[in-house]
Amino acid sequence: MNTTPARRRPSRARSLAAAAALGLLLSACSVEDPEAPATGGEGGGGTFSIAVGIDPDTFDPAGQTTTTVQNMVDYVVETLVVFDEEGELVGNLAETFETSEDGRTVTLGLRDGVVFHDGTPFDAEAVKFNLERIIDPALTVPLGSPFEVIESVTAVDDTTAEVALSRPSPGFVSALSVTTAGMIAPQSVTADGNTNENYQRPVGTGPYTFGDYTAGESVTVEKFADYWGEEPHYDTVVFRIVPEAATRESLLLSGQVDMMILPPVSDIQALQANEDVEVLLAESDRTIFIALDTNDPLLSDPMVRQALNYAVDKQAIVDNVLFGAGEVMDAPMAPSLAGYCQTGSYDFDPERARQMLADAGAADASLELLTPSGRYVQDQQSAEAIAGYLREVGLDVSVSTSDFPSFLARVNAAPSENTVDMHLLGWAPPYLDADFQMQMFRQATHPPAGLATSFYTNPQVEELLTQADVETDESRREQLYCDASQIIWDDAPWIFLWTQSFPVVWSDDVTGISATPTEKFSAIYARPAN
Amino acid sequence: MRGTAAHIVRTLLLSLITLFGVSILIFLMLRVLPGDPARVLAGLNASEEQVSRLREQLGLDESLLTQYWGFITGVLQGDLGESARTSRPVTAEIAVRIPATLILAVVATVIGSVVGVAAGVIAAVRRNSFVDHAISSVAMMGVSMPVYWLGLLLILLFAVTLGWLPAAGSAEPLSIVLPATTLAAFSTALISRMTRASMLEVLGQDYIRTAEAKGAPPRTVIIKHGLRNAFIPVLTVISLQFGALLGGAVLTETVFGWPGIGRLLVDSIAARDFAVVQGIVLVYAAAFILLNVIVDVLYVVVDPRIRY
Repeated sequence: MNTTPARRRPSRARSLAAAAALGLLLSACSVEDPEAPATGGEGGGGTFSIAVGIDPDTFDPAGQTTTTVQNMVDYVVETLVVFDEEGELVGNLAETFETSEDGRTVTLGLRDGVVFHDGTPFDAEAVKFNLERIIDPALTVPLGSPFEVIESVTAVDDTTAEVALSRPSPGFVSALSVTTAGMIAPQSVTADGNTNENYQRPVGTGPYTFGDYTAGESVTVEKFADYWGEEPHYDTVVFRIVPEAATRESLLLSGQVDMMILPPVSDIQALQANEDVEVLLAESDRTIFIALDTNDPLLSDPMVRQALNYAVDKQAIVDNVLFGAGEVMDAPMAPSLAGYCQTGSYDFDPERARQMLADAGAADASLELLTPSGRYVQDQQSAEAIAGYLREVGLDVSVSTSDFPSFLARVNAAPSENTVDMHLLGWAPPYLDADFQMQMFRQATHPPAGLATSFYTNPQVEELLTQADVETDESRREQLYCDASQIIWDDAPWIFLWTQSFPVVWSDDVTGISATPTEKFSAIYARPAN
Repeated sequence: MRGTAAHIVRTLLLSLITLFGVSILIFLMLRVLPGDPARVLAGLNASEEQVSRLREQLGLDESLLTQYWGFITGVLQGDLGESARTSRPVTAEIAVRIPATLILAVVATVIGSVVGVAAGVIAAVRRNSFVDHAISSVAMMGVSMPVYWLGLLLILLFAVTLGWLPAAGSAEPLSIVLPATTLAAFSTALISRMTRASMLEVLGQDYIRTAEAKGAPPRTVIIKHGLRNAFIPVLTVISLQFGALLGGAVLTETVFGWPGIGRLLVDSIAARDFAVVQGIVLVYAAAFILLNVIVDVLYVVVDPRIRY
């Protein structure tokens, strides 16, 4: 399924001649992979291959940090609940999920007849094992904070599990959709070379079983015969690990993979014009913003911060620097989150910005703008453009960049050591709920404790968010977030920029591919187009 | 030969001191880099407790001396520690990557040496002819073209437009063609220029004229009398290039998704995975030293007059 026969035939003939020349040299080396996609069998369901950019660090669901790796793990390991394409939370391994009146007990009704890849049954004991595992302090669980409210897990009977929470936590059930809370077979943590701390061959309930991982090269998964749900089309799925975006694009255009994520953004328009491929600029929940240090004498004035928002033509940057791969923000969070409401806009108005800066006595202030490079779509380029707009209104802005760990060390420093005036940052809640986004505006998560790097705090916001933390009535909770958003928007601790798009491109020979707003693709049910 | 053996033993002993120095340098360099490995590793969304727990697990809360002692005593027992990022042993991480790096460096060096020496000899023999100028121009391009750019152009031509070769990966036998060619471009150019210069010098010597005068066929004069004597500086360049290819293939490995050690090094630096970076740097240093010893021996083989 990697190349159409018509496209591949000429290459085969040439291949043989050159292969003979190199064969001797290569036969002794181990880089050949018999399960490589292009030489794989075309019979049965065939092979579907996807080019991704990141070499997986761990396949342990509990150890996940990046969505690309989660995306691979999701083929093998499933979660209790999922967000469907409309962004609604629906049951998966748990058919039902109910939160008690007081919000402190979550009862999960589990799907019957589900088995793990090792043949053991998926039951309430397995749920208990997995949830207890991700709150075990001995294990590193990077996305573990939403699960810290778990007090205990009880297996009531085979198909019923009860989770007791230390306090009401309306976002908890949503958090169960994150790969971190994926269900692995309890026995697998001591089998097949796995240990609890070093779990590299995941055994889940998913439509595919974990096959091979060749470091720096590929990950292969194979169809699971006893899968409880709908059977996928392809027998084998190969994730090709190719860090360079332009090379991933070449793999797709030469028919050597069926699908890719994250093409070079400057090529998006050309790909959209190419009739052989489909381009999806999927909505993502990742907001990109310039965090303003509200402890800074100058930036502590909300009028200055609002002025900076008016000074930047965000739409122009999205169009010309991001090549359309983004949506300008109209609230302090992405529209896909529960709790979002359209809040406002800072329309481009340099005259007004200049006036406001003059009124605030900040007319020709000097500011440093720090940006990561290559972490978010066109991050450094956008920062340069933003600095240009700010210079237009009379500010003296210098842009600097560094590698991400150094960047993080600077923006995550305690207020007394923090020297960054403004920095570009992206934030993507791992599940579609406002509570994770709101960490950016709470005192409890000011650096170094968290990444609320503008050191913003407002007693009214704190009050509203504290109420929302425990409000079990969904619509009242959403209203609380909406009210908080309004205050945050007017206080402008950020220059609100855009939610970035997640581009997925595939050959028009295949279909059935979509994406979720958590920057993940859904290609498990990909199939040939005709 | 006795002198040579003693020289090699001496070199190897001295190299132990070098390696010790390298271990201290890389250990300290990593620790003065800004960026907290625990924070990077735990991810942006991790809580402060998780980060400090991780810092403890990684032993980063201990004194530098304690950390270095743990590192160096491990090294002496063949244990390079565990990758913070993947929890796998560093020796295993390096071991799975070395074959890919080695094969790429070997193939590129073979291409570079064969093509470079041949082009250099031809350019020297046909000095100031059209062929000489053509070779010089191409060599100039090879030296100046960034690997990144050349690699992407080759992919566009041979994978996308012509569909002859794989664009990335190492899974198929033909996968090596594009990365090896890209990687060889620079060394081919360098070796050809060095060969030309060295040959020109030798071809001007009296013994060449003598060989020609006594009626030796031109091929014998050029290869046996000329190239053999011109080869010492060329060999030095080739060995240095090979060493550089072992470590410097990062860009080529990235462009072609080649699963070598250079990419592992860059990923590990970006993730502040200290143990892996230290391990790779030590392995590089050891490989360079070994390479130098091998070249020392080769000098003797090429030129029996050399004694240590």
